[in-house]
Amino acid sequence: MMSARFSTRSLALLMTLLLAVGLLGVAGCSSADEDSATEETPAADTAAEATAFDAFAELEGDLDIAGGTAHIPVMEAAAADIMTSNDAILITVAGGGSGVGVEQVGEGLVEIGNAGRALKDEEVEFYPNLVSFAFAVDGVAAVVHPDNPVTELSAEQMQAIFAGEITDWADLGGDAGEIHLFTRDEASGTRDVFWSKALAEGDIAVEANVVASNGAMKTAVSGDPQAIGYMGIGGIDDSVAGVTFDGVAPTQDNAKDGSYVVTRKLYMNTKGEPEGLTKAFIDFILGADGVSYIVDGGYIPIF
Amino acid sequence: MGSTDSHSRTDALLRVTLGTAAAISVVAVLSIFAFLVYFSLPVFSAEGARQVLSWDWQPLQGSFGILPMVVGSLVLATFAVALAFPAAVLVCAFAYGVGPARLARPVMAVINLMTGIPTIVYAFVAVMTIPPLLRDIFEQGSGFALLGAAVTLAVLVLPTIVLVIDSNWRGLAPRTSEACASLGMSPVQHVFGVLVPVSGSALLSALVLGFGRALGDTMIALMLTGNAPLLPTSALGSIRALTAHIGMVMATAVGGPAHQSVFASGLILLLVTGTISALVRRSVRLEA
Amino acid sequence: MRKWRERILVGASWVAAFGVLAVVGVLVVFLVARSAHILGPQLLFGDVPWTRAVFAGARVFDGIWPAVVGTLTLVALSAGIAIPLGLAAGIHVSEYAGPRFKASVTLVVDVLAGIPSIVMGLFGFSMILLLRRTVAQEAKTGLLLAAVCIALLVLPYMIRATQSALAGLPMSIRLLGPSLGMSQTQTLRRVLVPAASRGILSGAILSVGRAAEDTAVIMLTGAVATAGGRGPQDLLGKFEALPFKIFVIAAEHNTAAELDQGFGAALVLLTLTATLFIGAYLLQRSLERRWNN
Repeated sequence: MMSARFSTRSLALLMTLLLAVGLLGVAGCSSADEDSATEETPAADTAAEATAFDAFAELEGDLDIAGGTAHIPVMEAAAADIMTSNDAILITVAGGGSGVGVEQVGEGLVEIGNAGRALKDEEVEFYPNLVSFAFAVDGVAAVVHPDNPVTELSAEQMQAIFAGEITDWADLGGDAGEIHLFTRDEASGTRDVFWSKALAEGDIAVEANVVASNGAMKTAVSGDPQAIGYMGIGGIDDSVAGVTFDGVAPTQDNAKDGSYVVTRKLYMNTKGEPEGLTKAFIDFILGADGVSYIVDGGYIPIF
Repeated sequence: MGSTDSHSRTDALLRVTLGTAAAISVVAVLSIFAFLVYFSLPVFSAEGARQVLSWDWQPLQGSFGILPMVVGSLVLATFAVALAFPAAVLVCAFAYGVGPARLARPVMAVINLMTGIPTIVYAFVAVMTIPPLLRDIFEQGSGFALLGAAVTLAVLVLPTIVLVIDSNWRGLAPRTSEACASLGMSPVQHVFGVLVPVSGSALLSALVLGFGRALGDTMIALMLTGNAPLLPTSALGSIRALTAHIGMVMATAVGGPAHQSVFASGLILLLVTGTISALVRRSVRLEA
Repeated sequence: MRKWRERILVGASWVAAFGVLAVVGVLVVFLVARSAHILGPQLLFGDVPWTRAVFAGARVFDGIWPAVVGTLTLVALSAGIAIPLGLAAGIHVSEYAGPRFKASVTLVVDVLAGIPSIVMGLFGFSMILLLRRTVAQEAKTGLLLAAVCIALLVLPYMIRATQSALAGLPMSIRLLGPSLGMSQTQTLRRVLVPAASRGILSGAILSVGRAAEDTAVIMLTGAVATAGGRGPQDLLGKFEALPFKIFVIAAEHNTAAELDQGFGAALVLLTLTATLFIGAYLLQRSLERRWNN
């Protein structure tokens, strides 16, 4: 039975190994406290960063954030720096879309629910004690592949395209080819804003491919020369091209001064007035320290 | 030898402990059913059923029909198995005499290895390669389509089908091959003229098992189909599978009709795959 | 059978066999090629020195290390639940159960085995909803919930492997214990289970592999895109995991560098699961060889 004993021992060894790994993983934080003292920080910014994160110095605990995908770059960047300054804080960031953000914070599943639109009436009715904090302005633009010669569309054309009435780029002055529609899922605030302000609440063709985030939209459109979709202007980079809408270029400046009409504010929502870590985070984003993160995300801060 | 008393006490204790473990498994499955039924209860009312069992998914206009997704899942799984099953039989034929004997072991080893490839890896590689390829070849559609998802799914379920057939033929082939050889039959004739007909119900089990597996997959469907909530009309059109639908809609409207549609979808999937699993194993056991 | 029909079948079989090999080969080569230049400490740890990340708990924000630790932790927890539970249940069904209980458990195991993972995730999420409405109003999705759901997902592998390993034991082994006057417990402990251990171990390894690769369950039960740059800190918190990380990167990568990270992560995950399955396969083969001689 030599080999059988070997297998039994192996089973026991496997179990022990697994449990050890599990425990190591979960308990890995305990040695981390000594780490913050010896962190190497870039000398130049130490002084400035020290004051920015003072509000978090005494805090600890978990903060779960979910919702709008446009918010994610801002949230993740701020969270990373905050967590670096204070090792006892854990901030997790998830997506899901504005609808998910509102539902989850309303139900108490997360502390901050992000939405790329104002709360809907049904939501206010269903979750009466939500508090909204607008922190940025973002435009929503239709995007196409950078090689697509079509760079501007009128409102009527936009509506017709997304309704599935115009189906070929040639009809818009572009290269002949099928138009590939991409739209967002129903939880998306970006979709809500685009639908109400750019499409005048018109139909979106049911044949449109559905993607689940701003990032996914960018991935899809940047890979397909015949694609058209829509996303927050803050996320637009060289891999996609924003489409001029009714003669107005889709830039954040135009969004801010009102000439580009398809805009929305980015909101953080909490259940009731925020306290503790949640409050500190929201104050951080809304305050002077949050501006650089908002700008880096490509959005315009609201002062 | 110790006293029989303490031994029988230990025996009894062990028996109870083990029995509890087995009972826990039973309870777990029952509770899965129970939870899903409880949360989809609203669907069982006339109003709910009418809403959820309809053909339009347009939540912004108040329609929450999941039927296009049900059809989408069935069509996708069927398509995938239609590709995977013949290929699987051919691979088994290759390993059981049609191909050179020394290649049989390596081929089956690779097939076994394929079971260790995670679905997300298949889906990831596929989403990077297939949509542009489909767009270029067919010059139609966005590349996110039934075809791409079906092909990827076929690769996923092929090893499952092969291994079920293999475990059946392994017992069968040694008995039949000698007889066939002595009758002067070629390996091809042995496999397709004898093995395949004789193992009919094992083949069916393998097919059904592969179908169940294809039906239950989420990531490939989510990443490759385009997720448009409409009935499949062409292999190059975008569709949405029930599994992907659950993944996409999950946390949207807790308690609202969209949410109920998700639980109804889950219940449907559970019933279909549960039935498949039960039937398949029963027939396999009868075979043995 | 006509000659030309035979030839077609032969040809088709060759095409099928080599086609499958080609697909696997292309997949692996593709992954390796796309991630080759990024393999190394940077993939896992970004700019943080690896010793600090692994031993001192330094946070890693642009490497996949947190996801790796998350996966390992999740796997350890779910295997820690599923392996003992499955072993015990499997032994009971094989050695103790009366025919009716045996049939019900077997049916249950079969149904459990066929449950789509997204449905399991849905079950997990609904458990939290129920808890919130009744006893634990602050309950949230998190690591423990995910581990329990994954444990349920892999339980069938463990039970079946145990059952079939025990069932495959020859009569001579079964008679050994009682013929020496051993009690049932002693027989199990000292004769039967060790004899079947190879098959059981194989089932355990398969369970671990399955737990590592699952995406759909964790998507709904607490996996998030970023969770603090470290492994999971507590059982009730959100966590990162490799398969989910790959999914997020695939769907929404912003830069080519991020995409390469995705390929690297896919290769790491593939290596992990492939190694486990190879191990299980070899164990299973040696078991068969042993008892078939």
